[in-house]
Amino acid sequence: MKKRILALALCCAMVFGLAACGKGNGKDATSVLKINLASEPAYLDPALNSAVDGGCLAVNSFAGLYTYSKDNQELIPQLAKAMPTVSEDGKVYTVDLIESKWSNGEELTAKDFVYSWNRVVAEETAADYAYLFDIIDRNEDGTLKVEATNDYQLQITLTSPCPYFNDLMAFPTFFPVYQAGVEAADPDGKNPGAWAQEPGFVCNGAYTLTDWQHESSMTYTKNPNYYDADNVKIETLNFMLSADATATYAAYQSGDLDFIDDVPTDEIPNLKDNPEFYIEDNLGTYYAAFNVNADLFKNMTADQAVALRKAISLVISRNDIVEKVGQTGQVPASSFVPEGMADGNGSTYEIKEYYKAAETGSSNADAVAEATKTLTDAGFTLDGGVLKLNGEVITVPYVLNDNPGHKAAAEIMQQDLKAIGIDMSIETQDWQVFLDNRKAGKYTFAREGWLADYNDPVNMLEIFTSDSGNNDPQLGKEPIASAPQNWSEYDALINEIRTTTDFAKRVELMHQAEDMLMDTYAVVPIYYYNDIYMQKANVTGVYTTVYGMKYFMYAEKAAQ
Amino acid sequence: MTKYIIKRILLAIMSIIIVSAITFFVMELIPGGPFNKEKATSPQAQAALEARYNLDKPVGQQYLIYMGNIAHGDWGVSLKNGREIWPDMISRFKISAKLGFSAIVVATIIGVILGSIAALTRNKLPDRIIVFFTTLGTAMPSFVLATLLMLVFCLKLQWIPVWNSYNPNYVLPIIALSVYPMAYITRLTKTSMLDALNQDYIRTAKAKGVSKAKVIFVHALRNALIPVVTYLGPEVAYILTGSMVVENIFTIGGLGTAFVTSIVNRDYTTIMAVTLFLAILMVVANLLTDIAYKLIDPRINFN
Repeated sequence: MKKRILALALCCAMVFGLAACGKGNGKDATSVLKINLASEPAYLDPALNSAVDGGCLAVNSFAGLYTYSKDNQELIPQLAKAMPTVSEDGKVYTVDLIESKWSNGEELTAKDFVYSWNRVVAEETAADYAYLFDIIDRNEDGTLKVEATNDYQLQITLTSPCPYFNDLMAFPTFFPVYQAGVEAADPDGKNPGAWAQEPGFVCNGAYTLTDWQHESSMTYTKNPNYYDADNVKIETLNFMLSADATATYAAYQSGDLDFIDDVPTDEIPNLKDNPEFYIEDNLGTYYAAFNVNADLFKNMTADQAVALRKAISLVISRNDIVEKVGQTGQVPASSFVPEGMADGNGSTYEIKEYYKAAETGSSNADAVAEATKTLTDAGFTLDGGVLKLNGEVITVPYVLNDNPGHKAAAEIMQQDLKAIGIDMSIETQDWQVFLDNRKAGKYTFAREGWLADYNDPVNMLEIFTSDSGNNDPQLGKEPIASAPQNWSEYDALINEIRTTTDFAKRVELMHQAEDMLMDTYAVVPIYYYNDIYMQKANVTGVYTTVYGMKYFMYAEKAAQ
Repeated sequence: MTKYIIKRILLAIMSIIIVSAITFFVMELIPGGPFNKEKATSPQAQAALEARYNLDKPVGQQYLIYMGNIAHGDWGVSLKNGREIWPDMISRFKISAKLGFSAIVVATIIGVILGSIAALTRNKLPDRIIVFFTTLGTAMPSFVLATLLMLVFCLKLQWIPVWNSYNPNYVLPIIALSVYPMAYITRLTKTSMLDALNQDYIRTAKAKGVSKAKVIFVHALRNALIPVVTYLGPEVAYILTGSMVVENIFTIGGLGTAFVTSIVNRDYTTIMAVTLFLAILMVVANLLTDIAYKLIDPRINFN
């Protein structure tokens, strides 16, 4: 018994001893910024990363030709000397580079860009974002027409003039990678991301990765060889690797974190007036999509299919979804292209109001009356509060991935659809199954969302071409009789947008394409995305872009 | 005994091969794939990735290639992030094992002591209190307990940081992991101790004038521990492999999280590696339990 008691006593001592060790973790250090973005990133190689959190890590540990300014998020030169000179036909870009170094002290030259960009498009790299390089012309051997005319000058030849190419050069996939390191870690070309899997890999940004405790923490330390190191004040970035909003919010409240990129949904209403709570615009649209080839539409005429989709769009209360689910002041969407996009011709793309987004919904009698009229005009009947066509009851199954926010939005839609006699069922699917089904068109009505990769409406519109892997509405894919039959015209429009040299006309073509898309009512825009984060009052200088990237290198932290 | 052990080891290898085959083929049947993303992977990239990881071959052939690699000690790379699986799995297992082992030691020691006290003070106040808390401990899910511990010790009292990049604090996760097995062991010990105390040999020992302490600790407790050992075998294997819930709340990179995320991601190579690893642990734990029986109770005859 004595031994047992002793063991117990030792256990207790151990527990409290450890508890005491936990104290004094340097909460007040002004040279350390403690951040949570998400859980474990998949790839730190900027060529292979396709996630927003991975992009944030990339912009803080790599530098590209261009970047966004701290003050107004304008495109500014980073490793380039100035904005590029463009040939008269708009196809040849010449970029002069400043002298800069890799984190190991070696010189970084134009050749590094030639290597890195060709690496992204090489088939064996299998990079998700290789398609962004499609705008660059190819040599006969399949390599990109990108040349290092000397050590500090790059010449890039495009297939056609591109109004957003400067933006692309600021995108993480266009960052340079260190050739010797990449090749040493992957001699047989089987594992292209291997070079950036352990702390200490060579990069050229403000911070280098110095420690990585998987699913727990990452430590980035200031890179003294960074071209702008003099302006980097914070010595260390500590990332908490967690996607559990409760845990990260608790860590923020207890002072163990200075910056969090997410808060539990339930807390949002209490945080609205908190000066540490920030809301930033994002370029993207939350929407729902119909599969135009779904069985639901098989026995309908084209007009009936469109009328049904239009009526549903009219009674979905975007305001309710924004106020009760989104909760962070998202703007109800009245178009597919989000607010604030550049039009590629020197102005902002004009948002067309395809309907009054704030006035849709089942609580608005006018919207319900219009929806009902649209349906009855097309031959539907509302029989005892149940919508029917040729005697058959119309039911609309809605699929979504398992997420409380999506589910809450779906429940609002379900309620709204009752106003026009439609029973909308809600089916939650496992993420992978959901993606498969959406892509293969095995659904009727589904949750969707698209965040732009670059600031041009074509990035929103091109996902609906017949051959696009993201064309979940199945537009133009072996259309059934009631589906739009003219989708090759849309494909041709997108192609013309991509190749035209007349940027004023290009804006018109984009509006035409959006009109065509909206006329199908296959997409039901709900709101334009925005982005929330929290940052302690003593932290300044962190900035974000409309793509959701967070830049920490010019942050400063005052003593509390 | 040796013959028995050899037989058990052969059976264990068989079980592991069966587990590997079932997992491999069922996993391939689940819809979804490792390269599915919200923004679709291009057909070219998809094809290149499938070729790189042999996913373009027939499933039977994939299985043979995989098992051949395993036989050579090659556990492959994760389809999700291209990292070598073996070193990652081992470093994660070390963390889960450290937590799990501490939790099981705490649970067993406290559980046996509380169980014995409850048995000896049956229907008196200490017993009642212990029964109350063990019922609570069995009923409360670990995520509730973990969140409660975080609220009290990290947010209210501020004794322990919620997250610390250099010295992760294991006290709260250990408590969160140990409460359920502790409550269970307490109840087991109590029941079997009561049972043992009513046996004839205890009465005989008492009649012979053996001291009360010796009766309890040598005669009764030793016999009462057999059900606890039965429970501990699989429980050790279970707890050593990590708990996703507790790991997530306390931001600990253990095996539990890795297993669950690998399934969500359809990361076939990681699913296989972790499943095989857990199967091996389970089989070994069961084998060791059986041997422990023999040591505690000489009456058990393997033949």
